[in-house]
Amino acid sequence: MTIALKAETKKYQRFFKTMGFCLGIFAMTLVSTMILPMRSAHAEKQVTVGVLVPLTGELGEFGTVVARSIELGVKQINTAGGTTCGKIRLVTRDTHGNPERGIREATKMIESEGAVAVIGPESGVMVALVDLAKRKKTVIMSPYAGTITLNKLGGDFVYRTVSSDLGDGDASGMWLTEKGYKKVAFLVQNEESTISPAQVAKKIVEKSGMKLTDFVIFNPGQPSYQAELISVLAHNPDAIYLAGGQQSGVTVIKEATSGGFAGEWLFTADLAVPEVFDNVGAEHINGRAYVEFADADRSLPEFKAFEKLYREEEGKEPGPFASNSFDMINLVALAIEASGQCSGSGINSAIRDVADGGSVVTTFAEGKAALAKGMNINFEGASGPLKFDKSGGVSGAYSIQAAKNGKWANEKFYPASVFKN
Amino acid sequence: MNWLQVILTVVTIGSIFSVVTLALNLQYARGGMINFGVVAYFAAGAYIYAIFTHPAPEGLDQYIIGLDWPWWAGFIAAGIASLLFAVLTGWPTLRLRGEYLAVTTFAFAEVLYSFLLNERRIGNGAVGLSNIERPIRDWGTIDEKYIFAIVAVALMFLTAWIFRKLLNSPYGRALDAIRDDEGAAQAIGKSAKRMRLQVFLLSAIPIGFAGALYAMYMTLVSPRLFTAEVSFIVWIALVLGGERTIWGAMAGTFGLILLEEVITSLPFESVSAAQNAAAMNHVVTGLLFIAVLRWQPFEWISKKLEKK
Repeated sequence: MTIALKAETKKYQRFFKTMGFCLGIFAMTLVSTMILPMRSAHAEKQVTVGVLVPLTGELGEFGTVVARSIELGVKQINTAGGTTCGKIRLVTRDTHGNPERGIREATKMIESEGAVAVIGPESGVMVALVDLAKRKKTVIMSPYAGTITLNKLGGDFVYRTVSSDLGDGDASGMWLTEKGYKKVAFLVQNEESTISPAQVAKKIVEKSGMKLTDFVIFNPGQPSYQAELISVLAHNPDAIYLAGGQQSGVTVIKEATSGGFAGEWLFTADLAVPEVFDNVGAEHINGRAYVEFADADRSLPEFKAFEKLYREEEGKEPGPFASNSFDMINLVALAIEASGQCSGSGINSAIRDVADGGSVVTTFAEGKAALAKGMNINFEGASGPLKFDKSGGVSGAYSIQAAKNGKWANEKFYPASVFKN
Repeated sequence: MNWLQVILTVVTIGSIFSVVTLALNLQYARGGMINFGVVAYFAAGAYIYAIFTHPAPEGLDQYIIGLDWPWWAGFIAAGIASLLFAVLTGWPTLRLRGEYLAVTTFAFAEVLYSFLLNERRIGNGAVGLSNIERPIRDWGTIDEKYIFAIVAVALMFLTAWIFRKLLNSPYGRALDAIRDDEGAAQAIGKSAKRMRLQVFLLSAIPIGFAGALYAMYMTLVSPRLFTAEVSFIVWIALVLGGERTIWGAMAGTFGLILLEEVITSLPFESVSAAQNAAAMNHVVTGLLFIAVLRWQPFEWISKKLEKK
C-alpha cells in the first residue's frame, strides 16, 4: 500500500514538474519584453488603459496597426508628463476576432488590471462589450468598428473615432457610379461590418441605373469560393465589389483571377493593407483594383504631423485607422485630464466636452496646458475634427486608393461634407 | 495576475461547461452514444433564452421575434428548446451507432450553426443579439460576479446530483447493462432504443439551462460563440477527467478552463509581448495537454473523490 502510494506520488510529482517546466518556458519567452515595463509599473503613479485588438486572424494586420498607433500616442502623452492620474500604462491583449474571448479579456483588464478604458476592439467584439462597459462603468472605444448596430447601442460609455459603416457604403456606391461601370457584381462576406455597407452601396448602384449582376453573401473560412464565383464570373461584370476579410478575400481574388475575371475590383477596408499584394500577387491587381476605407484628410497639418511621427517611429507610412487610433488614446487622456477623475465614469463625463466646443488643440500637451488654465478645449486630431454624435460616433471622410506598382496609392478623397448621414 | 478574478472566471465558466460535460458523460460513458454536436443543444438554449427575453425589434434590427418576457420564462424555455431539439435530432439518428452517430450529430450541429449564421431574422445573423437580459445583479454589498459563480456552481451540482441519483437507481443499472451487452439486456426485456432516446432527451435539458446561463453571463448570443470548437472542448474535458465518473467530468472541465485562464492571464504592456503571447499560447497549451494526457491527474483526482 505504501509502495503504491509512493509510486502514485512520484508520478504526480513528475506531472507537476512537467507542467512547471512548460509554464517556465512560457514565462521566460515573455520575460524580456515584460520585465522593464513591469518594473516601471510599480515605480510611479499610473493609470491603466486596456488595448484589446485582434492581433491574430482575419483582422490581425489592422489590430497591429491600431495597437502600435496607441503606443505612439501613449509615448507622446507620457513624455508630456502624463495625466493627473499619472502616466498611462497599457495592457494589450488579443481578441482572436472572437467576441467570447473579447468579453473575457476585457473583464480581466477591468477587474484584474483596473483599466479605466478598453480601446481598440473590432465591430463584433465592440457589440459584445456594450453591456460590460455600461455595467462596469468603463469606457470602450474603437477606431474602426463601423457596425451599424452601434448606431443604436453607442453613446454612453461606448464611443468610436470612426464613422458608421453606412458612410463606407455611400463612398463605395459613389465610386462605382463615378467609374461608369455598366455591370457590377457584389461579393460580400457574411459579417455585420461587411453586409451593412454593401447594402447601402447596392442601393446607390441600383439607383444609378447600373446593372447589378449578382449579390452573393459568402461565409468566411471556406477552403474555396468556386461555388460563389460560378454565377458571378458567368455574368462577366465590369467590376466586382468585394467586401471580404484578409484571408477569405485573398482566396476569392485568386480564384476569380484564375477563373478568367479580367475586370476591375473595389475592395472594402479589410483589404486596405499592403500585405494583400504579397498574398494575391501584385501583378494580378496592379492597375485594376481599388480599395475604399474611412480615412483622415491627409492635407490637414495634424495628419501631416502624425504621419511624420509615425514614419520616424515605425519606419513606414501609417496604415489604415492609424490616425483614428492615435486620436482615440489622446481623447481618453484629455478626458481624464479634464474630469480629474481616474475612472471610466470620469472619462465618460468629459470625453464629449474635450472633443468639441472650446479652444482648438491638436496635441495632448496643448490640451493639458489649456485645461490647466481653466479653458474649454476642442481636440482636433490627426483623423480630423472629432465631434461625437448621439450614438458616440463621429462623421468621417473616405479615401479610394488604387493598386499601383505593388502599393496602394491615393486616387480620390471624399470629405465628410459630401455625406448626408 | 489577480488570482481571485482567475478563480471566479474558472468557477463560473467551468461550472457552466461542466453541466455540458456531465450531460455528455451520461450520453457517452453510460448511454454509449457519441454526440459530436453537443454545442447545438447549448446554442438552442442560449438563443431561445435570448429570443424570449429580448425586446421587440426596432430600427436597424433584423431579427423579427423578441418577446420581452421575464428571465425565468426564458430560462425554462431554454431547457424545453434544448429538449425539443434533442427530440428532433435524436429520434431519427439514435438508431445509428458509433462513428455514424458521431458524424450525424456533428452534421446537425453544423446545420444549426449555418442556419443561425445565415438566417438573419432569427438572431441578427453573424452579429447576433447583444445586451441579453442579465437578471443577476449585485445583492447589497455582494458583487454580481460572486452571485453568478454561485448560481453556476448550483446548476452544476444540481445536474450532477440528479444524474448520480439516476445512475445509482435500477434505471442506471439497466443503462449500464445495455451499454455492456445490448443483446443480453434486450433478452430480459430492456428496450435499448427507448432507453437511449430517454437518456439523450434527459441530458439535453440541463445543456439548455447551461446555454441560457451562458447567454446571461456573456450578455450576447452570436453564432461565433457556438462553433464546433465548443463540442471539442467538452470532449477534451471528458477525456482529461476520465469518462464514466461524475467527478471526472467536472475535474476535467475545471482543469481545462484553469489551464486556459492561467495562460491568458498575464498582463502584457507592449504590442510585441502580446503578439509573442498570442503566438506561444497554442504551443504551451499543446505541451500542457500532452503532459495532462500522459499523467492524467484529473482522472486520478476524480477517482479519489469517487472513492469518498
